[in-house]
Amino acid sequence: MIKNKKNLFIIILAVVALTLGACSGRRVVATGWSGITVNEETVYFSYGPHAYALNLKNGAQQWQFPAEPINGVDFYAAPVLADKNSQLLVAGYDSVLYSVNPANGSENWSFGAAENRYVAPPLATEEGIFAANSDNSLYALDFDGLLQWEFATEDPLWASPIWSENCGCIYQASMDHYLYAINPENGKLIWKSEDLGGPIVNNPSISEDGLIVLATFNNEIIAIDEESHQVEWRFQTSDWAWATPVIDGDQVYASDISGTFYTLDLQSGETLWQLQPGGGIYSSPLVQGGMIYFSTDTSSLVAVSQEGVVQRNQPIEGKLYASPVGAGDKVLLAPSESEYFLLALRESGVQVWGYPQPE
Amino acid sequence: MWDAFITLMINALLFIYNLIGQNFGWAIIIFTVLVRVVTYPLTAKQMKSSKAMQDLQGSKEWNDMQTKYKNDKEGLAQKQMEIYKEKGISPFGSCLPLLVQFPIIIGLYQAIIRTLAVTPIQLVNLSKHINDGANLIPINSQFWWMELSEPERLPILGVAVPVLAILVLISSYIQTKMVTPTGGAGDNAQGAQMTQAMTLYMPFFMGYLAMTFASGLALYFIATNLATIAQYVITGQANFKNILPKLPNFGQQGK
Repeated sequence: MIKNKKNLFIIILAVVALTLGACSGRRVVATGWSGITVNEETVYFSYGPHAYALNLKNGAQQWQFPAEPINGVDFYAAPVLADKNSQLLVAGYDSVLYSVNPANGSENWSFGAAENRYVAPPLATEEGIFAANSDNSLYALDFDGLLQWEFATEDPLWASPIWSENCGCIYQASMDHYLYAINPENGKLIWKSEDLGGPIVNNPSISEDGLIVLATFNNEIIAIDEESHQVEWRFQTSDWAWATPVIDGDQVYASDISGTFYTLDLQSGETLWQLQPGGGIYSSPLVQGGMIYFSTDTSSLVAVSQEGVVQRNQPIEGKLYASPVGAGDKVLLAPSESEYFLLALRESGVQVWGYPQPE
Repeated sequence: MWDAFITLMINALLFIYNLIGQNFGWAIIIFTVLVRVVTYPLTAKQMKSSKAMQDLQGSKEWNDMQTKYKNDKEGLAQKQMEIYKEKGISPFGSCLPLLVQFPIIIGLYQAIIRTLAVTPIQLVNLSKHINDGANLIPINSQFWWMELSEPERLPILGVAVPVLAILVLISSYIQTKMVTPTGGAGDNAQGAQMTQAMTLYMPFFMGYLAMTFASGLALYFIATNLATIAQYVITGQANFKNILPKLPNFGQQGK
């Protein structure tokens, strides 16, 4: 009997170990979705242990960084070209920001003073590099990777900083519910929004006439006037609003994670039309060739006319959390949990090429 | 079904987290203790069955039977079943309640890890489990010196010491020793050896898990070990004699 009980116990122990292992993957799970950047004939994207450069025409790999995977180093934020395209910034989950040569993927320098993951792609302007980190801070660097200043918020930064021509400042949205306007030269706070009611995990968009539009987990799309710093309108969504709203002329395209896609009037925030094709929406839409493309986590790429008529609801293998990106007449998709890391489709939906997951 | 169970646990965890001022470390501890309290009837049943089995295996009748059927395994098994039936003891009485608790332990661990959500995919998954908790995001995963979503190390004199893993190892050792029955005369040598091996390996196994996985899990291990020890102490079934290693009795040797 004792033997039976002990055997049972050992089996339980093994199952516990396997179950915990399955829950946690390798030690601590660190997962995100791919970010894509396109420059002329090259596509740069990050996924898992590497950032990749591919030929836009045929999807052939040009290089990968680092050449061999390094334990604990993952990349998900979109690589960003900086310093007149002479550097490619690759932000890692290992809390390091790398500058690599866009031509061959060799490392120029790295900045390792941050203490947590880089979820957001950095911002590169003529003045320098601005990188938001999950350690709650925004770091400003020069093009040699030297720290210029640091701006701290109360909660993690998953949203990219954005540059505003109108105010000559940087806007940083934070999970602490606030939007910060920061002087890019010295990192001083210029102004701060009122409490916007919920965490903000993606960057805002700015209209030409100075309206900042952002999405919050308080089920709202909010427009703030750049000059008065006041909230102009709030639009109630049916669930958390995760993705960056996209401004297209007088319209704002927004969504929530329950899967409702909204088209709002930019000035009033009133709904022009909305649809719910199925699945949650976590990514921003792409406006290209008179069509709006957005993806859902139930693996659909939805193409809608600007009048709100669904033209196509195309199933794609894997989950689509990453925003579709336009490249000339192509639409690039980075599905998760798929055979492919990257897919290039024609606007008609026909696949041009796919970059498969390495063996 | 499993997803609904995890959802329930995550929301209970978040409810406590919010109630106590958004401290996830304390939320884990309180939730673990509450789960132990709720599952106490099962634990009590398991303890009662273990005790009955322990008493039986230390009895003269059991020892005589083992001696008598030393070379007849089939006869021994048949006789054992007869005695179990006669005494009203289920041979699996102490295992079944443990098996019922098993999904609760795994569920609790999954709930802790899912709630911490420190990456976008984890937050997407969490968003599918929580009913109303946007304002609790991001979860404050700092607890004392620990980042609960990461394996724990405390720098002491320039050395990163896995303090929680050591505490898990010690508390697992005490808990395992305390709840392990003292070897009765009727225990066969193989069973006793396995028990000894388990009480040695189990704490190291738990310590290894605590050192390797997110420290939220280590905190849960410590809380659950301490809760188990407390349950045994309160019910008077703690076996304190087992905790210290047995030293040779030099006094008796001299006689």
